[in-house]
Amino acid sequence: MTKKEFKKLFNNRIVLLDGGMGTLLQKAGMPDGVCPEKWSSINSDLLTDIQKAYIQAGSQIIYTATFGANPIKLSEYGLSEETFDLNKTLAEIARKASEVSMTKTLIAGDISSCGSLLVPFGSIEFEEAVENFKTQIKGLLAGGVDLFVIETMMDLQEARAAIIAVKELCDLPVMVTMTYEGRRTLMGSDPVSALVTLQSLGADAVGCNCSAGPAEMVDIIRQMKPYAKVPLIAKPNAGKPRLENGRTVFDMDPESFASYAEVLVEAGANALGGCCGTTPEHIRKVAEAVTCLKPVKHERKPYSLACSNRKTVMIHTTLPFAVIGERLNPTGKKALKEALISGDMDYVSDLAREQVEAGAMLLDVNAGVPGINEKETLVNMVNTVCNAVDAPILIDTSNAEALEQVLRIYPGRAVINSISGEKAKIEKILPLAKKYGAMFVLLPVDDSGVPETAEERIEIIKDVYEKARKLGFTKEDILVDGLVMTIASNAESALETLKVITWCKNRFKANTTIGLSNVSFGLPSREQINSAFLSMAVACGLTSAILNPNNRQMMQSVKATDALTARDKNALAYIGQYSDQDDSAQNSAKTGKKTSKTLYEAIINGDAASIEDLARQALISGKPPRLIMDDELIPAIQKVGELYESKKYFLPQLIRGAEAMEKAMAVISPELEKDSGNISGNKGTIVIATVKGDVHDIGKNIVAMLLRNYGFKVIDLGKDVESSRIIETAKANNADIIALSALMTTTMNQMPKVMSVMKEEGLACEMMVGGAVLDSNFAGSFGAHYTNDAYKAVKLAESLINQSKNGG
Amino acid sequence: MNDIKIMKNLKPEYNKSLIYARLGFDKKRTGLSGPMRDEAEKLIKKAENTLNLTGAYRIMNLDRIDPPKVILEDGTVLSGVRLAELMKDCDQAIIMLATGGSKIMELINRLQEEGRMSEAVIIDAAASEITDSVLDMVMLHVNQMLRSKGRVLTKMRFSPGYGDFDLEQQRELYRLMNGEAFGITLNEACLLIPEKSVLAIAGISGNRPK
Repeated sequence: MTKKEFKKLFNNRIVLLDGGMGTLLQKAGMPDGVCPEKWSSINSDLLTDIQKAYIQAGSQIIYTATFGANPIKLSEYGLSEETFDLNKTLAEIARKASEVSMTKTLIAGDISSCGSLLVPFGSIEFEEAVENFKTQIKGLLAGGVDLFVIETMMDLQEARAAIIAVKELCDLPVMVTMTYEGRRTLMGSDPVSALVTLQSLGADAVGCNCSAGPAEMVDIIRQMKPYAKVPLIAKPNAGKPRLENGRTVFDMDPESFASYAEVLVEAGANALGGCCGTTPEHIRKVAEAVTCLKPVKHERKPYSLACSNRKTVMIHTTLPFAVIGERLNPTGKKALKEALISGDMDYVSDLAREQVEAGAMLLDVNAGVPGINEKETLVNMVNTVCNAVDAPILIDTSNAEALEQVLRIYPGRAVINSISGEKAKIEKILPLAKKYGAMFVLLPVDDSGVPETAEERIEIIKDVYEKARKLGFTKEDILVDGLVMTIASNAESALETLKVITWCKNRFKANTTIGLSNVSFGLPSREQINSAFLSMAVACGLTSAILNPNNRQMMQSVKATDALTARDKNALAYIGQYSDQDDSAQNSAKTGKKTSKTLYEAIINGDAASIEDLARQALISGKPPRLIMDDELIPAIQKVGELYESKKYFLPQLIRGAEAMEKAMAVISPELEKDSGNISGNKGTIVIATVKGDVHDIGKNIVAMLLRNYGFKVIDLGKDVESSRIIETAKANNADIIALSALMTTTMNQMPKVMSVMKEEGLACEMMVGGAVLDSNFAGSFGAHYTNDAYKAVKLAESLINQSKNGG
Repeated sequence: MNDIKIMKNLKPEYNKSLIYARLGFDKKRTGLSGPMRDEAEKLIKKAENTLNLTGAYRIMNLDRIDPPKVILEDGTVLSGVRLAELMKDCDQAIIMLATGGSKIMELINRLQEEGRMSEAVIIDAAASEITDSVLDMVMLHVNQMLRSKGRVLTKMRFSPGYGDFDLEQQRELYRLMNGEAFGITLNEACLLIPEKSVLAIAGISGNRPK
């Protein structure tokens, strides 16, 4: 079957696929635990009966029973050597079912996961996976399949490996369905990124199967539809599985199952079938339900789509401007150059994250350092970037070998930077873009050099596009480079670039990009030129630019021009980003926090940045330190405690109040000491520790901080502390309370031990304890007092000391 | 230990509201200013970036269940009333491990040493929640693998320290998962170090494998 014939199949009709196989094989007598493919091949009559039943129910495409028939999976049964023969036989059995049914049915060679994870999640190398699938595909081809289906894929990269394997062996159509756990596949791909990656790579239909029932699949289909260039498939389970007498059962009956057909078609599905738990009867009901249904007509969004395996970036003149981070290019960057030479990929990872956090939507990746192995370095960089961030990449190289290697392993849809009108690039790189479904930056230069005028550049753009179009590319697949040259050497050059951008927007209808900083090369105060030019270019229709996203002025220009050109509708993103910044207070603008006006307010707000100045101002004003404590600090920290207790504050706010209090105390305490001879008006002495064997101390540290805040003298012994040291310290400091923390059941038993030594030594202090596994019964069993949060610990300490003072 | 399957470089889906819940956030009552919310979100992201998440599992046959004892094929005896109840219809067990690596604890400790406790506490909560979600991911993965065989995992999993499945039994799970190979050590109190590491067990039932 040709791809053209396959496409035609979906004209004006809903295509019906088959349903579940596993449960039917079991019903037909397949014993538990055998290899289903082997058993099916031996019991071919039973398999034929099932497939015939699907054909009679209305399936126009049936799948071969080869779901797990790849060498890696078959090795679980010691059958990997039989891969070719099994696939050939099972394809022939499916063909026979079609022939005896006297109905023209297409046979799809079924491929699914090899059952082991691919790098970087597991240990199967990409090329190993491709070869694994090729062995299976050869058998299916020998068995005469009409097309292929790659199904139940959890990892987009594994689906890519299978598509590449099919494409490298034949030209038959290939359908791909991923399986989603909620909103994403298990390995993190969202439906749109999966669609964009798969359809670009050459999948002829894309969709979802298994995991979910029909209701859950509606939303997945709906998400994909606006961006789909290919038919969409929904092949749901018969609801959710449940166990009955040790067997997995799917409850949804054929009528209920089929009742979703119309909704799925409305959402955009072009082909329907069933997965686990569905039977020929389910398919028959779906066939009845779709008899009068036609595929919905939809207007595909005219966006340029690049994606990683987890995120799609959409580029268009109506959408927010796409910032492409430039910092992963070693040209002129000594530190990156050194990192690439030494193989320091942590540095690459940090640069990727910094750019994305600053607002880069895509990242340009370049490994052009003289003397290094560019292919190897580029692959390492791309793997590192994929692991660090979700942003898709531009592969910035003219080395065709390195480029192909990266395109092969990149688990999304990358952008090639760039393809020009130079003959060598057209011949070598354009076919690579086609094979791997990449977007590309169209650079308007040719073998005669860099054209100065917009008119000359436009001619090259038309010429390169025409060659690309013949290979099947559309204008959405390219970003035209406006070609920025410095105005220092040619005063007209920026204007020529703007003409190209304007032409692309108004006439050519293609999206554009530029390497921004070139415009100011050789000039002083480059930021101003860059920023002004960026605004002008965006006004002309520029849709993306390669720039430094960590340059604040540049990013402010981007946000402002987005708002001014209505790409940021109602300036919502702009307001969201900048509304907290106050022009009159530069300092606070940096942190996005409001400056507090009083010490009380600073503690309530947890404003550690202002509090020291406020404390100093309070002292300079002549207010006695004791009054500063009594009137402002203590009421404020008490208020913070109340807010926490009433759940109006959560734990980090309580701690931030305490942190601010600590800073204020550091300023006030020396004066307080001079004033009264008493550093903090000590409410009592507490020795605090996490018990022997326990290494979890964050909770204990929070309690210690709050106790200090509230005027206790706290001696913190840290974590994993021996009982003897706790007792000795308490004795030496005449402690009022020993406070102990333990997080685990294995360490909490240290607490009674400390108590018994405490009693033996005749210490008169109290013990309070806390930690996740404790409760008041446990604490009470050895005479300790229990508290379950930091603020309550303060209250408990105050009450214990008051009782002791009152002789209680 | 060839039976142990490893999943590396994971980025699990996690429920952010569970991180806030760990920090005492109450949807109806707690009020967060924009900057505080932004800061918390940034710190959660920082935790996500610093964690180096690995999941692993192995599937073992159950020899028998003799409540509260659950006896594995190699003779390992685990004990817990609710564990035995969980496994009652199962013929196999899945032992799981998740770890966030050592860098995250270095970050949390450094922040505490620098007195940046409010940041430390958010990163700590996020790291715990995200590491835990690796086990959800492992279970989803295994369930998908089992589905075609007509088998399924129990919905729940137990970690040592839960009820009467006491923490001492962490030693057994640690041994079965070869924790050392993942850079994890077990201290005398049966705590896993680095702290953002967790072991668990669940059951598998359905059509019996041969």
